Amino acid sequence: MGNVTLTHITKRFADGTEAISDLSLNIEDGELLVLLGPSGCGKSTLLRMVAGLESPTGGEIRIDDTVVNGLSPQQRNIAMVFQNYALYPHMSVARNLAFPLKMQRLPRREIERRVHAVAQRLSLAGLLDKQPKALSGGQRQRVAMGRALVREPKVFLMDEPLSNLDAELRLQIRQDIARLQRDTGITTLYVTHDQVEAMTLGQRIVVLKQGGVQQLGTAHELYARPANTFVAGFIGSPGMNIFTAAVQHGEQGYALLIAGRPLSLQGSCYGDESLSSFAGKALQVGVRPEALRLIASGESGVHVIPATLSAVERLGHEVIVHFPAINRVAGAEVEHSARLAYQDGLQIGDEVTLGLSVGDLYLFDMDGKAIARVG
Amino acid sequence: MNRNRVWTIANYVLLSVAALLFIAPVLFMVAGSFKPEARVLSDMDSWRALLPGGAGLQNYRDVFARIPFGRYLWNSALINGLIVGLGLFVNALAGYALARLQWRGRDVMLAVVLALLIIPFEAIAVPLFYQLSALGWRNDYAVQVFPFVANPLAIYLFYSFFLGLPRELEEAARVDGAGILRTFFVIVIPNAKPVFATVAIVSFLLYWGMYLWPLLMTVDDAVRPLPLAIATFYTLPPVQWGDILAFGVMMVLPVLVIFIAFQPWFVRGVTTTGLKG
Amino acid sequence: MNKAAPRSEQSIAWLFMAPALLGLAVFILMPFLLAIALSFTNVRMGSPLPVEWVGWREYARLVSDAGFGRALFNNLLFAAVVVPVQTLAALGLALWLNRPLRGRVVFRTLFFMPVVFPLSLIAVVWILIYSPDANGLMNHGLDILTLGHWQPRDFLHDPHWALPAIMLTSMWQGAGLQMVVLLAALQAIPGELYEAAAIDGAKSWQRFRHVTLPQLRNALVFVVIVTTILAFRVFDQVRIMTQGGPENHSATVVFAAVRAAFDRSQVARGMAMSVVFFVIVLAVTVAQRKLLKQTRS
Repeated sequence: MGNVTLTHITKRFADGTEAISDLSLNIEDGELLVLLGPSGCGKSTLLRMVAGLESPTGGEIRIDDTVVNGLSPQQRNIAMVFQNYALYPHMSVARNLAFPLKMQRLPRREIERRVHAVAQRLSLAGLLDKQPKALSGGQRQRVAMGRALVREPKVFLMDEPLSNLDAELRLQIRQDIARLQRDTGITTLYVTHDQVEAMTLGQRIVVLKQGGVQQLGTAHELYARPANTFVAGFIGSPGMNIFTAAVQHGEQGYALLIAGRPLSLQGSCYGDESLSSFAGKALQVGVRPEALRLIASGESGVHVIPATLSAVERLGHEVIVHFPAINRVAGAEVEHSARLAYQDGLQIGDEVTLGLSVGDLYLFDMDGKAIARVG
Repeated sequence: MNRNRVWTIANYVLLSVAALLFIAPVLFMVAGSFKPEARVLSDMDSWRALLPGGAGLQNYRDVFARIPFGRYLWNSALINGLIVGLGLFVNALAGYALARLQWRGRDVMLAVVLALLIIPFEAIAVPLFYQLSALGWRNDYAVQVFPFVANPLAIYLFYSFFLGLPRELEEAARVDGAGILRTFFVIVIPNAKPVFATVAIVSFLLYWGMYLWPLLMTVDDAVRPLPLAIATFYTLPPVQWGDILAFGVMMVLPVLVIFIAFQPWFVRGVTTTGLKG
Repeated sequence: MNKAAPRSEQSIAWLFMAPALLGLAVFILMPFLLAIALSFTNVRMGSPLPVEWVGWREYARLVSDAGFGRALFNNLLFAAVVVPVQTLAALGLALWLNRPLRGRVVFRTLFFMPVVFPLSLIAVVWILIYSPDANGLMNHGLDILTLGHWQPRDFLHDPHWALPAIMLTSMWQGAGLQMVVLLAALQAIPGELYEAAAIDGAKSWQRFRHVTLPQLRNALVFVVIVTTILAFRVFDQVRIMTQGGPENHSATVVFAAVRAAFDRSQVARGMAMSVVFFVIVLAVTVAQRKLLKQTRS
């Protein structure tokens, strides 16, 4: 039983910076919700407020329908895994695991039972007598998780727990965390700046930017239905290519003027009602790098974009190419990318033609907000 | 290749000569402590001033025979040990409160501590002497210990150190349910060994040679420390320089031993104070 | 940042501060305030006469007190000589030891060794070194240096040599401390800066001027300020070696204050001297700090 409700949370620091602005969020009991965003977006601050390490300037935090605003971390029955693990360096693994239970004044027998159970579960049994400095990064991470687990809390809070691990370990422990959360069913709030981590772990993801919620949804929703250009550009690697285009209205309906050529919007996901207010005006267009393909010439139903390659990254199974942005706008990205099936022979400076279909387009207004889709 | 070697050797030689000249008074003291009186004085005009020999440990025995050296040594050790020991406790607590705890009046207190740092001991020696004497407090161990337990410099060193500790350990302890007291004693202190060592060593260095204060406040040999004792010993007739130098060697030996053993700590302690301004 | 801390944290904080605060208040703050207050009275040690307020009388007497004036002058002279000489010597030693030398630690230990010697011990040993006979260590050494043209002197009783003699003992004791601080600062200078300068064509003395000195600035400022303050606090050697003599030629302010209050029972006079002493040290420190503003690199 551990659902977390945040209502109208604001956080202003002593120097006036507003880290969180009027944020409301509901985390279901037993779900793993990811707080995703670039550094400085307020995700860690939010986590710490749920933990009780910081207090919100305004708003209410409830855990299981109890207001916890004035309660200490221990009283909230939450457990936290810190980015740098924060293991007590002068204590053995066993004492690290036992410490929170000692603070709760549990009987010794119960402490031993829980410590051993957790050690078994996280494969720490052989390390109980060692000190943190004798452990590898992955082992320390598991001890940090164990220390949180041993408390049998209502809510798990994790602050970028994988960021200090190398790539391979990260993959493995990511799966361990996912499995652990499924097995224990403890509500988990997970902070990360890595969108791949977020997409694979989170049942739902909240994308944050400068203290405000950009979008809340499942990984697929964020990918396929980004609410604004920020989310569109943040999710995916590389993120969605965004450029501007003008909307033309002709006899055959609406069309976009892209790189000097019109692309008809007939058969797209955008209906006439949404497009009518943009006739003759500009809007922002997004297309994912994976939607672009290399074409010879003259395929029908495909809009063609010429590009001169400025960089070529070969990844074994695919090639990521970069080219100067279409319709470059001041302040926008300088380059766009395309993810293509692997092929030899692409070099910097090559002039290629890339194709995209109308169905791959995403439209946003000039403020970045997604335009309503049909169906 | 060869030129380099010549330079290096010349460098070493020059450096050794400079070091030798610098250390000459120390060698003189040590050498003289092993000489019969006449030789101490007659050897002074030659290199033999720096070489021991002739009297064995006689001078040392004389020191013990003429004055209660053991008592003085004990006094110095006790007084210094108490100052350092109590000081570590008192000043660490204050440093932590200033660095980590939130309380009304903290900023004012910090300013006060920094302001007191400027007051040299010599400026308050006379008034303190009057203040305590007027209260009838003289001539015991306590009056040589308590005035020096709370030390603005030590508080500042602890404060700086605790400020620099990453907060995560204390936060993890807080999440785990530990209160402030327990966090400080069980989590913070075991991880603060460097600053404790530094402060202990700097304090020891500062107070082992204290002369002015015991001079003002003590009358009985029973409570007098070494620095005072040597100043009176050297005027005690008959003036035997060999004995005096032996006294000196024994007086500085504990500090020297600790210094050589804990050299890196000494240097680190001195330089952190220095580079922190 | 100090708003609304839980009540318990407030009380615990005061609990933590209490012993230190008590000590600081009773043993530093109170005597300090007492000195200021009592310097305006005619308080004496053990006198049955009531203590009266006399205003600035003691201070006025200080102005005409030749001994005090001399002591003040001596301290200024002391600082003016010792600070530059000792600092330059320490800098020289630090630079010398900054090369890749094997046994550098040994040399560093040797030069630092005098620092751990109690000043009273140093005073006594140097009394012997300054022995007035022709074969006294100092006299003899100077005789050798001047190739036989040296007249043996009684340094500690000579009005012109007493203060310099004490200066030398202070410099001998203090140079090692400065050297260690400067050496640490030198070793903290990244080698790449020198390499970049060398590539840019700077010769060694130019590298010293444009790389070494600026990086050393903070450490040098610290060392100069500390040494200046210490130069004003000189007491032990004066009391033991010369008793301020002859005729106050080697007296220092602290010595004069202690003599007045302790030896001559002129407590109020001693207090006034202490207050003046503090004001001077404060002024010098503030002036130096302003002049040599430490930069945060």
